[in-house]
Amino acid sequence: MSLWRLEWLRLTRTRRLVALVGVYLFFGLLGPLSARYLGEILDLAGGELEGAVIELPPPTPVDGMAQFASNAVQIGTLVAVVVAAGALSIDAIPEMGVFVRTRTRGLGRVLLPRYAVTALAAIVAYVVGTGAAWYETWVLIGPPDAAGVLWGAVFGALYLAFAVAVVALVAARASSVLGSVLISLIVLLVLPILSVVGSVGRWTPAPLSVALAELPAGGYELADYAAAVGATLVAIPALLWMAVRLAERRER
Amino acid sequence: MIQTTGLTKRYGEKVAVDAVDLVVEDGSVHGLVGRNGAGKTTLLRMLAGLRTPTSGSVSIESRREELAVLPDTPRFDPWLTGREVVELAASLVGGADRINEVLGGAGLSDAGDRRVGGYSRGMLQRLGIAAALVGSPRLLLADEPASALDPQGRREVLDVIGRMRGEATVLFSSHILADVQEVCDSVSIMEEGRLLFQGSIRDLLIGSATPRYLVRIRPDSPDPRPALMEQSWVSGVEARSDGVLGVSVRSLEDAELHLAGVLASAGSGVISLGPEAVTLEQAFLELTS
Repeated sequence: MSLWRLEWLRLTRTRRLVALVGVYLFFGLLGPLSARYLGEILDLAGGELEGAVIELPPPTPVDGMAQFASNAVQIGTLVAVVVAAGALSIDAIPEMGVFVRTRTRGLGRVLLPRYAVTALAAIVAYVVGTGAAWYETWVLIGPPDAAGVLWGAVFGALYLAFAVAVVALVAARASSVLGSVLISLIVLLVLPILSVVGSVGRWTPAPLSVALAELPAGGYELADYAAAVGATLVAIPALLWMAVRLAERRER
Repeated sequence: MIQTTGLTKRYGEKVAVDAVDLVVEDGSVHGLVGRNGAGKTTLLRMLAGLRTPTSGSVSIESRREELAVLPDTPRFDPWLTGREVVELAASLVGGADRINEVLGGAGLSDAGDRRVGGYSRGMLQRLGIAAALVGSPRLLLADEPASALDPQGRREVLDVIGRMRGEATVLFSSHILADVQEVCDSVSIMEEGRLLFQGSIRDLLIGSATPRYLVRIRPDSPDPRPALMEQSWVSGVEARSDGVLGVSVRSLEDAELHLAGVLASAGSGVISLGPEAVTLEQAFLELTS
């Protein structure tokens, strides 16, 4: 029973992997469907609001991917944060924290598998959802820009790896899973606010989370994300290093 | 061997552990006794490296991998089986070839493949012991390991600890003094963070408690108390409700030489006479009162 297998069992036996894949797959299927049939849905709902007639332009493949990307950033990241907090809050149950702390020389040996397996599971779920959204958009609306979708998925996956690293750092200090979830979500919500502050925002990981919606639409180039990718690649190991240091210095 | 020097832990103004100088010999079973809040858990956690001392030092002649800690209420991921918990512990500290042995020793051979979430409190405690012992630790720090168990569970835990004597050093805290008296070679008594006593249980029982003789005299005999109180070696006489006199003496030797003679000269008919067997509980209460 290695620490890596322990994390795999945590994902499978607690149905966390099912929850992650299920959420992304659900929105991957729902996004293009709602984009394709939004007009019909509004017609069924009445079609008019106090005399105003709502006329929607014909759906495009960009709409299908954008619908999924929007839900993936919000609900998908929320689920990923909850799953990550459950795995990375090693002291949430003190007796279990004592079990691992007194049997390992460095907590990096414990935290690294927890981070890697959780982040990988979130990324796999995200890719599955993206694939479903891509396929359904193609079938219902038309083919989205393949390069834009692929790069958008890569950047989205990188953002998820960053989000889980944020949870790792927060969980090293927070005393409960709920506390880890709430603080991590606040941090991840503040980043998009920063991203609208001129050029500073492009140096945060936040733009990566919406790349899947932006790149297929054609408004952005890959180079526009270079700063965010660079910052994220630096931030992830830095956050993990700090998480290990904080967890090791914490008293139980 | 465990040795602490001036070990102190403060939380703001509160002193949880106050300048403790503790020595636990290699291969011994040492009991750490004290009321709730006396500082036992904080001391154990500093020894385990889970808390940083405010001042003082800890010296332990064991490597990290040779140290095992058993919390008072072990908890494990409920979706693991008992066997997987022990396998996990073995993967971290070694002892993969002892998994069946320690599960059997803890009485969990049959329940090893069941999920931990369905274990009773006693089974969790025994699983904690199995996970602690799988790595053949040279030092076991156990915090109230038997306090929440039923009599049979307590018996099993004490047997396991007793069997470790000579093979590993065991330091366990408890407020069940009978357990300590039964299984420990030496004992430390803590009160409000301070170490009031450390040494062998025999030294504690003889040295700390006031020696006392119990005398039962015939009801129609003359009262010997005035004669006893005149003796310089008698520090007090207490008449108990069961008709027994408790005679506190300065030393047992004086009582052995003179007590029978004083009673005889007072004309008291003696039914029975003998030194009071001092329990660890009496010694503890006397030290901490």
